[in-house]
Amino acid sequence: MEHYDDTFAENNFNNLKFQNVTKKYKTTLAVKNVSFELKKGDIFGYIGPNGAGKTTTIKIMVGLIKDYSGEYYINGKRFIENVDKITNILGYHPQDTGFQSWRTINHALYTFGRLSGIDKEILRKRIQLLLNFVGLYEFKDKKIKHLSSGMVQKLRLAQALLNLPKILILDEPLSGLDPTSRFQVKSLIKLLAQKEITILFSSHILSDVEDIANKIGILNQGHIMKIGTPRQLQEQFQVGKIIEIIYMEHSKMCSGLENIQGIEKIEENLPLTQLLYLQPNADLEMTSQDVLMTILKQKCIIQSFRFLKPSLENVYLKYIEGDFE
Amino acid sequence: MNFFILFFDELRGFYRSKVMIVLWIGLPILTIIMHFFQPDTQDFPFSIIISIVLSTIGGTLASAMLSTSLASEINEKVYDLFLIRPVKRITILICKFFAVYICLIIAIIISLSLGLLIDYISIGGITEIFLDTLFESLAITLASIAISCSIGLLFGITISSVPVAAILSVYIGNQLSALSIIPSLFLDPLNPFLFAAIIGLSVPLILIGISSILFQKKDF
Repeated sequence: MEHYDDTFAENNFNNLKFQNVTKKYKTTLAVKNVSFELKKGDIFGYIGPNGAGKTTTIKIMVGLIKDYSGEYYINGKRFIENVDKITNILGYHPQDTGFQSWRTINHALYTFGRLSGIDKEILRKRIQLLLNFVGLYEFKDKKIKHLSSGMVQKLRLAQALLNLPKILILDEPLSGLDPTSRFQVKSLIKLLAQKEITILFSSHILSDVEDIANKIGILNQGHIMKIGTPRQLQEQFQVGKIIEIIYMEHSKMCSGLENIQGIEKIEENLPLTQLLYLQPNADLEMTSQDVLMTILKQKCIIQSFRFLKPSLENVYLKYIEGDFE
Repeated sequence: MNFFILFFDELRGFYRSKVMIVLWIGLPILTIIMHFFQPDTQDFPFSIIISIVLSTIGGTLASAMLSTSLASEINEKVYDLFLIRPVKRITILICKFFAVYICLIIAIIISLSLGLLIDYISIGGITEIFLDTLFESLAITLASIAISCSIGLLFGITISSVPVAAILSVYIGNQLSALSIIPSLFLDPLNPFLFAAIIGLSVPLILIGISSILFQKKDF
């Protein structure tokens, strides 16, 4: 782990730029005018529903899809013209790639490493290191056809790291992993980002994206709906203003709060807790003052009064459902 | 460099997946079985019969092996992890072609040697005319297998359904591989050895070229 950590010390990647990239499959538009930029050390969480175009974008990024329009640059160089040089700094974890079933774990990694141009001796040591890290070392001589889906997922990750990539592109890297492995993989992603490895990863598990990413792109029907840091997305998201009031155990709960101007509805699903949903155009300051005044007047004793931030899930759903203004 | 890595990797794949063992043991066993059950060939050398039988079986096996392995590996997205590395797409195809071809050639050489041995024992010697005929048959066999292999390659990358790719490549491969023998049967001036060599080189080259262009354009 420590050695593995050190090997990422050198990094000569600066930026990756997607400009108006469009890909059409016969009659289906997979991605349309997708633009974003990744800088050294970014952890870009790429989220969207099934069929949104995440995997298509990723396949363009790693050169598996060549026929697209728009521009794609790495370090200011057009990817399509420098594929052979650039692929050496890319690591790719595919969503559902199969390995030839007759291979053993060790042999699969050895072949991919040799194809990446890694020296035999260095490669043997690196394979040992990576297998130890992803927890597959004791299974290194096991045939791939006998592995569980979680183990195959770890093998995909190990092969993506073989060439010590500067840009790591992970398509659903956490799916199929048990909680311990998920934690390990998330820790690894954070560790790699600390070493200024740039990471793009797609996921359906929004809490994972929220945990790891410092930049998020929301994709829907081939369009990028929004890009920003998790905080920017939550702050720009005006709809989800919620006030949470938790009362002390011996206190009564306030009544009539729904009559205050700016309050849309009240939920009392949890004991001693009220959730006040504000109208989209409500004046936050005025409404909260009115709520506090009512609490004082009714002599209710509260334990906490706070504004709830919308979760990434709230933000995501609003963008995907299309009711974000 | 990557060519040799991939080529030996393919051979290892055939070895590990038992395909090689089936070929290298199965075909010679077939030769021995045929010796015991051969019909009356009126002193026609047994090795030549073996050569004719092997060209049919070998061609069928070659086209089926290549088309099914390519189609299924494309469907299972096996090549994604090769193509994100500095590997040329044509290298994958050529390695696959030669791995199957060489595997079959070795199986045929083993079987033919066995056939020759049986002839030597039963006839008591091998004449020059007999050897000439044998080399001619061998050239035709190799040419027809090369054609079948290249047909398998073409259908393997263009057809996504594994059974359809197998059926088409076996059927069309068999028809097309007859190119290496039929013209020389009807046209006397043609040297069968030379004709088989020319056809065995040119047809696969054209088909591999077409396959390579199509594979190059393919989105994965």
